[in-house]
Amino acid sequence: MKQYDLIIIGGGSAGLAAAIEARKNGVESILLLERDAELGGILLQCIHNGFGLKVFKEELTGPEYAERFIEELRGMNIEYKLNSMVTTLKPDKTIQYANANEGFVIVKGKAVILTMGCYERSAGAINIPGNRPSGVLTAGTAQKYLNIDGYLVGKRVFILGSGDIGLIMARRMSLEGAKVLGVAEILPYSSGLQRNIVQCLDDYNIPLYLNHTVTEIIGESKLSKVVISKVDGFTKIKGTEKEFEVDTLLLSVGLIPENGLSESCGIELDPRTKGPIVDESYQTSVEGIFACGNVLHVHDLVDYVTSEAKKAGYKAAEYVRKKLVNGESFRTIAGEGISYVIPQMINKDNLVDNVELFMRVRKVYRDANIIIKGDNKVIKIIKKKHLAPAEMEIVKLKVDDFKNISKNLSIEVEV
Amino acid sequence: MYDVIIIGSGVIGATIARELSKYNLKTIILEKEFDVALGATMANSAIVHSGHDPIPGTLKAKFNVLGNRMYKKMSEELDIPFLECGGMVVAVDGTQIEELKQLHDRALKNGLKDNEIRILNQGEVRDMEPNISDTVKKALYLLTTAVTFPWEVAIANIENAMDNGVELSLETEVLDINKDKNFKVSTTKGVFESRVVINAAGIYADKVSNLLVKSNYEIKPRRGEYFVLDSDVNLVNSVIYPLPTEKGKGVIATPQYHGNVLLGPTSDYVDLDDKTKTSEEGISYIRDEISKTIKNVPFNKVIRSFAGSRATSTRNDFIIEETDVKGFINVAGIDSPGLTAAPAISKYVTDLVGKRIKLTKKNDFNPVRRVTRINKLDTEDLNELVKRDDRFGHIVCRCENITEGEVIESIHRKCGARSVVGVKMRVRPGSGRCQGGFCQPEVIKILAKELKIDPMDINYNKSGSQILNESTKGEAK
Repeated sequence: MKQYDLIIIGGGSAGLAAAIEARKNGVESILLLERDAELGGILLQCIHNGFGLKVFKEELTGPEYAERFIEELRGMNIEYKLNSMVTTLKPDKTIQYANANEGFVIVKGKAVILTMGCYERSAGAINIPGNRPSGVLTAGTAQKYLNIDGYLVGKRVFILGSGDIGLIMARRMSLEGAKVLGVAEILPYSSGLQRNIVQCLDDYNIPLYLNHTVTEIIGESKLSKVVISKVDGFTKIKGTEKEFEVDTLLLSVGLIPENGLSESCGIELDPRTKGPIVDESYQTSVEGIFACGNVLHVHDLVDYVTSEAKKAGYKAAEYVRKKLVNGESFRTIAGEGISYVIPQMINKDNLVDNVELFMRVRKVYRDANIIIKGDNKVIKIIKKKHLAPAEMEIVKLKVDDFKNISKNLSIEVEV
Repeated sequence: MYDVIIIGSGVIGATIARELSKYNLKTIILEKEFDVALGATMANSAIVHSGHDPIPGTLKAKFNVLGNRMYKKMSEELDIPFLECGGMVVAVDGTQIEELKQLHDRALKNGLKDNEIRILNQGEVRDMEPNISDTVKKALYLLTTAVTFPWEVAIANIENAMDNGVELSLETEVLDINKDKNFKVSTTKGVFESRVVINAAGIYADKVSNLLVKSNYEIKPRRGEYFVLDSDVNLVNSVIYPLPTEKGKGVIATPQYHGNVLLGPTSDYVDLDDKTKTSEEGISYIRDEISKTIKNVPFNKVIRSFAGSRATSTRNDFIIEETDVKGFINVAGIDSPGLTAAPAISKYVTDLVGKRIKLTKKNDFNPVRRVTRINKLDTEDLNELVKRDDRFGHIVCRCENITEGEVIESIHRKCGARSVVGVKMRVRPGSGRCQGGFCQPEVIKILAKELKIDPMDINYNKSGSQILNESTKGEAK
């Protein structure tokens, strides 16, 4: 059985940045396993621009953004395997992967970083009444068909959910000659970034129906119609039905961290994020297994994935060098108005530089404060003009801020 | 000229085809759809019932118990998943305990043995099923209840029948049936002649029968809706039934062979047009009903909802009989427990065929079917396999770990897959939590390559259900 200091599962934006950062911090023996035929992950199908504004201070397309990291990784001669699916992960950090060249292979790492990304919530998960014809698919799958394989899935399109991929696909399919008739969002606000609403819907005169959802799918073998209705909360209001003759319904109704492997390994998950519970070093409940990127929680910008993955790569390198302490830790608490906080645990002994807390709010706020308390005493207040669930908030704290905390760190929104 | 024409390729047509293939007969299955088993076989509870609840003396009672006893052997011969999980009917309050005892007696009357059923007290039920509702007082434990994989029951039987000489004609809709000396069955693919016709047309059986002889029954589609829970949910260990009512067995929680849990079905008479539609009412009915027997149901772990319709007849029992026209056999009204009863029904129908055609056993009948399943092999065998064919090392379905090799095998077997759902029915990519979001593009590519057709011509399930609409790359057409 071949041994590595560090094995990284997934060669998307998180895996690439984590591998590079671990190597920069002295880890020589690294193996990166990628299930697809190329490195880069989902970035490869995101051919629109808008990536890299924070990391590179310039606007790149997804493949361009990925390419910078892929080149750096190759330049460092980090070992990676393509078309290689990990089938098992055990708490002792043995991993089985499979590919056509080697068959089923078992390897072992001193440390493991999970960077498997996320998957799209499917039509099946949301139980739309009606038929089950072809023509109903997730926005990301349609994006792959269009941008990688070169096929348009339909000509008259309705989109359910205002997640970013759906908005991007509204524009993309319009540019390819499809007619996008509208986007329905069950919530009173969009779940995508504001810039995407403007650039992908408004600029193309595509109506956004807030407080609406698809209430019936009609069509025998192919989709022929969708019915949308206004909702009160999550309950359909009778008599508000609108019919659209379409051949395609795209779904952009949420992304879910892909943690099948993590669960089978016994890694503890956070029911809110659906990703692993991690500490300040991005270490999961299983010692030596780290997690970052969309497998940990769903990010709205790849730039944030990169910065998170760099830290996880650095900390994994520290772990390999036995410099991480498994001392006492305390919890971070998502208080009033906050749906989750990453990391969920903080071990003060491992804090060396600034700490970034990632979080999302539960609803839209105007002129509100984010209040950070240590052991129930206010340690920081951040004024915010606008807060929305679609936009991840980052709170930076100094190591000094933690000096007097021993029980918990809580974050809440105050209006 | 055939000896026997079977109309319909659901579990009933499929098991009859296999049973007939043991004899020196020339048999063909006619199926109107793009693939086999797309009717009630596609959407049901997957349970091999013990036979505890049909009314004693009915064909349902007889063939249920007989069929249950045949399932294990059939599953072993044909490599069909078979989960011997047992089942229990639960009494959710004190008033139901008497009914539970009556059901116990009925089970015995139907031929279940003393050691196959047992009344459990509250503590025993809890020990076996930690998520059972707190109100459950007692349960009737059914040791012979099991779970199968209905798609594979049909496909495996048809494959094995074809290995033993039976023919299959898909996209062949029966338009008319006449008889002079022999039967002449006119279809969308021409006229087929035979000495015997078996009508196993499921929900359309009455219409098919009417083409030849005024049928003495009607089929009323009775729809059932279901939820599927993700395979990481450990909700139940055995099949959990409420007490049966006139509407049927009620909303059941069924552990599936591949780790999911199925919740359902509803029971509503519907028009043919609505036979596979899910409804708002159905979805909330399942939620309400299942919560009476099971607690902590994680509805946020639902990965799919679907509906199918039972071919319920106006005669309240299975109809398995030769009509006034000699040689025309109806196998109709096969609703629950039809999946369980299928192997027993196939024997009985073969006897009916024997009244018209002298049956002689084949010497070279091969009862065995085998499928390559990578999750059944140890690492050493896996690597042997990959050495022979490296496509078994390439996993295309990340949720269920299905390899390219398995998909390709499913396409090239007899009765092979031709559509995305066809591949899913045979080897399951798309059955997991992403519901094909990642693997569907791969499956389309493999289908197109292996069948040597354009990816844009690959169907989702039925004829005319292509997924890709227009090519945007390459030369303009």
